[in-house]
Formats: sequence, C-alpha cells, structure tokens
Amino acid sequence: MITCEEFFAEFGDYLENQVSPEVRKELELHLSQCRACRVLYDSSRKTVKIVTESSSFELPESVSGPIIDRVMAKLRTGQS
Amino acid sequence: MSFLGEVRLEEEFGPFAAFQEALGFVPNLLYAQTLLPRVIEAQAKLESAVRSQGGAISRVHKERILLSIAADRHDMYCVALESKVLSLLGMSEGQIDDLLNDYHRADFPLADLALLQFCLKLSRYPPSVCSEDIEALRACGFEDKLILEAVVVTALAVYRCTLSVGLGPEVDFGPRKLPSTRIAPPRDVALHIPSPGIHEAARNKGPYVPAPYLSSKTFGPFAIVQKSHGFIPNFFRAQTLRPDLLEAELEAVGRILLPEDVLTRVQKECILLAVSAANLNSYCVAMHCNLLRGLGMPSEEGDQIAVDHHESNLSESDRALLDFAVKLGTRVSEFSRKDVVKLQTLGFTEEQILECEVVTALNNFANTLQMGLGIEPDFEPPPDFENKVHLSGGAHTPIQAGGVVHLVDTLQDTEAGLVAQAQSGKLEAFEELARHHGQLIYRTLTAILGNPADAQDAMQDTLLSVFKHIERFQGRSKFSTWLVSIARNTAFQRLRRGKHFESLDEAVCNEERDFRPRQVRAWQDNPEELYSKSEMRQLVERGILALPPNYRVVVMLRDIQQLSTDEVARQLGLSVPAVKTRLLRGRLMLREWLSPHFANRVKGIAQ
Repeated sequence: MITCEEFFAEFGDYLENQVSPEVRKELELHLSQCRACRVLYDSSRKTVKIVTESSSFELPESVSGPIIDRVMAKLRTGQS
Repeated sequence: MSFLGEVRLEEEFGPFAAFQEALGFVPNLLYAQTLLPRVIEAQAKLESAVRSQGGAISRVHKERILLSIAADRHDMYCVALESKVLSLLGMSEGQIDDLLNDYHRADFPLADLALLQFCLKLSRYPPSVCSEDIEALRACGFEDKLILEAVVVTALAVYRCTLSVGLGPEVDFGPRKLPSTRIAPPRDVALHIPSPGIHEAARNKGPYVPAPYLSSKTFGPFAIVQKSHGFIPNFFRAQTLRPDLLEAELEAVGRILLPEDVLTRVQKECILLAVSAANLNSYCVAMHCNLLRGLGMPSEEGDQIAVDHHESNLSESDRALLDFAVKLGTRVSEFSRKDVVKLQTLGFTEEQILECEVVTALNNFANTLQMGLGIEPDFEPPPDFENKVHLSGGAHTPIQAGGVVHLVDTLQDTEAGLVAQAQSGKLEAFEELARHHGQLIYRTLTAILGNPADAQDAMQDTLLSVFKHIERFQGRSKFSTWLVSIARNTAFQRLRRGKHFESLDEAVCNEERDFRPRQVRAWQDNPEELYSKSEMRQLVERGILALPPNYRVVVMLRDIQQLSTDEVARQLGLSVPAVKTRLLRGRLMLREWLSPHFANRVKGIAQ
C-alpha cells in the first residue's frame, strides 16, 4: 500500500477529481486503511463544498450599481 | 560530412561503444552530433532502451518497423541504415526488398502486418490514431505492453528521421535504392489532409493503455520530474507499464532540455511549442504554454506562439529559429542545407543549430508518443489555438466536448463586439461590460487588498483605469483576463501607498512549504446544516480574508468566482501546477479554520 506521503502527493488532484483510474484505485485503497487520511479527505471535500456554495463576497446590486453610476457620470462629464 | 561540423570524440566515449556493440558500427547520424556529446548520450539512452531484449517485440520486428517508416518517409539515410542492420540480423536481401517494395506483399503473418500498418499510420499522421486502431491490435492478440512498445519504436523512428533530414549525414554503407515500383507516399506528414471521420475518432478518449501507479518516492526519475516541472505530467504517467523505457526517456529529456549552455530553456520551450502547434498537438501545446508561463513568459505571448509565432514579440532571430524548427519538424521535403546556412548568417552557432534540431526531433518523438497512446491532457490549450485546429479540420485532444465550444464562441463574439464599441468610445457598451464583470473585479480586489471596504473603494479607480486604457487591449487574451490584470495593478498601487506591501508574485512562501494539515478530528456528516446560509457565508469570508494573499487570490478566483484552474493560471500569469499548489494549501488552511466549527464534538470517532 502507498504511504501517507504518497497519498498526500496526489491529494490535490484527487480533490479535483483529476487522477487516472489506476491512481484512484491506489488512493482509495489507502483511504480504506488509514483513518488519518480518511478524515483529511472527508473534511477537505466538505470544505471545498462549503466554500464553493457559500456565495462569498457577492457584491449586491445596491452597492455595485451606485459605484458604476458614479464611474459613468465621471466618464460622461469627461467626454462632453 | 554532414551539414554541421564534427569533432573527434575519445574512442571509449560510452554511447559510441554501445552502438558498436548493438549494431556492429557507429552510424554517421551519431558522428554528425559530436559538437554536443550530451545529445548523443540522449539518443543512445533512447535507442538502447528501445532495443532492449526484455521487450514484448523482438529485435527483428522492431528494426522492420524502423525500416518501414524510414522507407515511407523516403528517408534514404535511415533506409540504408536499417537495411544494413536487418541484413546483419540475418534478413535476406530479397526479404528486405519486399519490405521496401510493399510490406503487404512481404511474407509476414497477418498480425505482423497489422502492427506495421498501425506504426505507419501513427508516423504519417499521428492525430488520425484512435481507440479503434488499438482495439484492432488487441484483436490480433497484442498486449498492452507490446502496443506501448510499438508506439515508442515509431516515435524513435520519427526522432531519427527528423535528425537525418536536419543533419544530412552521409549514408553509412552506400545507398540502398527504393524499388521503382514503389508508389511515392506523401512525404509531408502535416500536409496530409485528414479525412472528415478523424474528428469523430478523436472523441474516443484515451489513454489507450493502462498505467500502473508509480510514486516519486519509489521511482527515482519521477522525483526529478517533480522537481523540474513541479508536477508529473500525464505524458510520463501514461508510460509506467515500462519503467525502463520511461527512465531512458527522462534521461534523454534531461540531457537535451535542461542544460542552458547552448540555447536557453525558454528558446527550447518555444521550439517545442511552435513545432507541436504546427503538428496540431493540443496536448503538447498546452504543456509548453504552461512551462513557458512557469519560466516567466506572459500567457498571451505563449498563446501567440501557439497560434502564429510570426506575430509574437520574440526577437527576429528567435522567430527565424522557430521557422527553421517548424520546417524541419513538419515540412521535411522543403528542408535543405540552405536553411542551416540561413541560421548561420543570422549569427547562430553550429552548436545552437544542432541543439535546435535535436529539440525538434525530441518534439516529434513526444508528439507521436502522445497521440499514439491517447494521453489525456494535463491542461487546456489556448482557446485561439483550439479554434485554429478546428478550422484546419485536424483532430484535437478529447478535452473539448462537442457543442460547448460554439456556445462559448458566441458569448465571446458578443463580448468582442462590446469591447470594440467601448474602444471606439461608446459609453453604453463600456457600462454593460462593467456591470457584467463587476463581480470578478470586486473579488479580485478583495483578494489582494484583504478587505471588502477597500475593494469597494478601489472599484471606481479600476473601472476608470479600464476605460482609460481600453485601447491597449488587443484581444490577444480574454477580456476578463485583461480586466483582472488591471484590477491587480490598481490594488497593488494602493498597497504600495499603504505600509504593508507584500508581493503576490513571490514564489510560494517558504514558511508554508511544508504545510501539513494538523486537525485530525472527523467532521460531522452534514456540516452545511449546522449553520444558516448567512452564518456560513460569514465564516467562509472571514476564513478567506485570514489566508496569506498568495493563497487568497487563487482560492477566491477558483472556489468563489469558480473559474477553472486553467483560467486562474492564465489570469494570474502562473503555471497551472503553481496554481494547484496554492489552491491546495489555501483549501487546507481553510479546512483548519473551519474545523472547530464542523468537527465532531466527541474525539476519536472514526467515520
């Protein structure tokens, strides 16, 4: 079985679902035998899900609208 | 004598001794490379690994493949060489003539003919190879290892033929005529127009042969690639069925590409990029675009070389070097000694010309191998290059599913129209662009400034700057990429005015190099149900703002703005592997940050 270090070397691509079937097999075998890596994988997967679904740093129209309006006003006066 | 100078090497020069032992003589093709002994070492490594006895294909069969390909390309040097080798191996003159005349009529078993046919197809027009060809070989009873070997032998034949055209060595034992009845084959592989069916074929995904897992811990050569590339490309991973061949290839690559004593690494990567592009090899184009970005070349410049290097910002002499390489790599019949002389008059040394030819040969080796094994892309190629491939009717790597491309095209066309209007001063068009991309600009600013209030403040400056400079946008990158670069500049200016300036372009922070996760408590099953949507959002936002800036920007663009890894790399001018490293570390830091909120309350419960 591969070591935790070897597992970690592929970990980023595994999270992104970008490993070949052969590598996946090795990683899954490791996961089935190693609690620490299983916890790492499970919580990392959940982290990515939480972060991507969080709609963080969305700029509401109520904020972006006036900013763009101000820019456009400046440009119009500059142009005329 | 060949086109370039030759020098005497010691009798006991290792690679020569190896050729002496394997063939009974040292081919002139090798003497023609004596200006750079390390490239002879590279070729010797490849050849001895391919010839090794332990393989699935017998020595005679391999030499037959090499001869057939040489004859198919009308490479008279290689034809003479291989004929001699085969006769030394005991093949009769009549049999050799049969093979040269028409291999179909040679008295070979059907399976052997099928294998030869496959190799010829791969050598003539690599993009035409598809999974059906591999299935046909399997139906003949050939195993994966043998198929891999056949692809590598073909790639070696292409390597040698490229070199023999570029170096023009004298034949070793007098010429061997091709029988006059032979029908002249197309000599220029790239000009061979693919049939319409090829597009369909290319959709059948590779990789064609299985690749057992090898780690860089147990397989030394991978550790070296990991160091030099920052990751292990699928190109190498796909060949793990034969670690010995792989090791030889990596040694050859190391001897040809890594030293900077003759051409620079950037020049060599440009050659690989330009010739791969001319061969319509999307896999290798994407690879070399990324490697060039890692070497500090702006992404638009690499993309431009892929589309047409004449329009790039390279120096005149470097463009001539690429012209030379592309001609040698794809338009063999036009190549002559004059091309060598032309480079000399531009000031290139014989060593540089030799290295350029070897790099071109290595490129064709790699292009052939990638197509022959259907190796899956590591990265997306530049969109403009894909359009070019599309238009030329060639096949491309399977990364693009049909249909999606057109939608993107239409969107980009609409945007291109708006950009053009904005460039001619139409404010309505500019306003639409600003509203459309506001979110991306805001998030980029927040990620760099580390503070949403400052980002809102900086937004106005950014948009004004975009309008002021919009004429400078030349359409060589995506408009959004250009916007991100303006937003970054605006943010950096602000930071410089403040005290805490930290360059984002620094290499990955050292103190983080050995970042390892510490939290080992398992998380609850449905963490997203523990908090309200707005609580979750606040938690994530605080976590992201707490990240070091390098990681913050990458996580912001990838996970929050949800761009692809390739796009993030392009927008930040980083290589994809660099983005991946930062993304993983950023995510792991966020995981540490979120852990106290989502971990199981009771310690030690395994999932």
